[in-house]
Amino acid sequence: MKAPRVKPINDSVKKNESASEAMIELRGVVKRFSNAAGEFTVLKGVDLTIDRGEFVSIVGKSGSGKSTLLNMVTGIDHPTDGHVVVNGSDIYTGVTESQRSKWRGKNLGIVFQFFQLLPMLTLLENVMLPMDYVDLYDFDERPARAMELLKLVGLEKFANKLPVLVSTGQQQLAAIARAMACDPPLLVADEPTGNLDSRSADTIIQLFEGFVAQGKTIVMVTHDPSLTSRTNRNIIISDGELINETISKSLPQLRHRHMLEFTKIAEEHIYLPHETIISRDQNIDYFFMIRKGEVDVVLEDKKKKESLVSRLQAGEFFGEMELLRGGKSIANVRAGDQPVEVLALPRADFIRVLDESPVTADAIRKIVQSRLEAHKVADQRSTMP
Amino acid sequence: MSSSIIELRNVSKTYSTAAGDFTALINVNMNILAGEFLGIVGKSGAGKSTLLNMINGVDQLTSGEVIVRADNENISIHTMSEDARASWRGKKMGVVYQSFQLLPMLTLIDNITLPMDLSDNYKPRESKERAMQLLQLMELEEHAYKLPAFISGGQQQRVAIARALANDPPILVADEPTGSLDSITADHIFEVFEHLITDQGKTIVMVTHDVGLVSRFSRSLTIADGELLSEAVPDTKLNQGRKK
Repeated sequence: MKAPRVKPINDSVKKNESASEAMIELRGVVKRFSNAAGEFTVLKGVDLTIDRGEFVSIVGKSGSGKSTLLNMVTGIDHPTDGHVVVNGSDIYTGVTESQRSKWRGKNLGIVFQFFQLLPMLTLLENVMLPMDYVDLYDFDERPARAMELLKLVGLEKFANKLPVLVSTGQQQLAAIARAMACDPPLLVADEPTGNLDSRSADTIIQLFEGFVAQGKTIVMVTHDPSLTSRTNRNIIISDGELINETISKSLPQLRHRHMLEFTKIAEEHIYLPHETIISRDQNIDYFFMIRKGEVDVVLEDKKKKESLVSRLQAGEFFGEMELLRGGKSIANVRAGDQPVEVLALPRADFIRVLDESPVTADAIRKIVQSRLEAHKVADQRSTMP
Repeated sequence: MSSSIIELRNVSKTYSTAAGDFTALINVNMNILAGEFLGIVGKSGAGKSTLLNMINGVDQLTSGEVIVRADNENISIHTMSEDARASWRGKKMGVVYQSFQLLPMLTLIDNITLPMDLSDNYKPRESKERAMQLLQLMELEEHAYKLPAFISGGQQQRVAIARALANDPPILVADEPTGSLDSITADHIFEVFEHLITDQGKTIVMVTHDVGLVSRFSRSLTIADGELLSEAVPDTKLNQGRKK
């Protein structure tokens, strides 16, 4: 893996951003808290890369470490070990709190569940506030820029109202306008819709989609499934560790602790274009999940004529039929026109976890059933004279 | 006998909604006495937050008058322009809400300095010193340079109260300030309020739905359907000095 190019934060004015760089890089991030009960490790060596322009949701149970993870990115908290590089700056190495605070003002917009508007300031004044801390806009242009942002979120009519006189959904929209005040490339949100009705939540997610379309990067912690379905990447954290995204995509019904277990034992295999992954009549020892590339499932008739039964994409899996039903492969499985990366899970582990996770077992059985039917149809065709 | 610091005369508030007019306050008359801890108690929708927004001039009234007599001024606050009222409020009234609304990116001391910097009442150096004194009052001085995320909810609410006191207003208005706190933490907030009344001579008006809190106030008023119903003066330590 390419090591991140790291620049000292205090040189950020001189920094020469390249569009290919990741927006966020976490390398070996560990966070330990000590309290009366002893030491507690909240993040256990997290590696994570988020590219520019990604719209990412982070989910996890209460206490899984998701808010701590977000606090590492915003510079609100400090890692015990490891590096955090955001927009090209290593934000914890040789940086004082006030330098970080300045950096944050230019690079980050932050939205919280409870909107943190100042009660004694109007919506317009609240939106102008971050501009007072960052010297990016002339004093005279600040009100006009704040009004533009309020227009963007549909609140221009309420610009001169105090927060208490508008609805909670409108307060959150104003908080989002404030987060965008200094035009940051990265927006970070912690449960931004946690306190809102579904209609207000939808307005906010549409707004976020608009920001992403403009090239902004958005990372949000949420447990609202209607939000996670709209982001283009979903990261799950369980007990302070990230779950392999191929596993969570392939087996979304699995419990988080099982996903984490799979993350630790799955093997990475790479196949060249058209390379055979499984041959017909071969015993199968693995459950396969596709990380990258396409996989062809092919049947052969007696005259060795092939027919394509299905073409599987990233996030799909194979090998499950034989593992569940027992017996040998009923088809040839091979890489498509591009190299294929798969995660392979040993048979015994796969069976054991399915025994513990009836929901997943059920879901996989349904997929097996429909695939068997497809194969039957294909098999008849391919064995026809 | 204490004098009236806030007087409401025939205050009514009607909202126009798609479903028609809705009257949130009907002809409210009341006096708030200097140095009292007044509780306004009512169920959700009773009009208590609307009443508070009339008292602090955050919202416009439909008819009537609110007169505030603080620092030798006698002002009918709703006759002022919006801007004038905002600047008046900044000096005379501190406001505390259920959610603490501290700015997450500013340290506690910077959160408290902010209203002073915005009002120009204090020089930057003075405002820093004053913020530290307020943190001491709240027993939070050791956390002065922490961000809000690193202190408890109860501590955040104390910082919000310190911020409300930044410009040394004679009146503090609070809307469910203990609404999201556990009872022990809420107790601590009440101790702070009691101290502000007995030792600093502040007047506090607090709105709550929690009838169980009535005994904490020096006087409480019940509101229902936009009208004031009953008055209670419990025998609390806040009243003992007054009754002598």
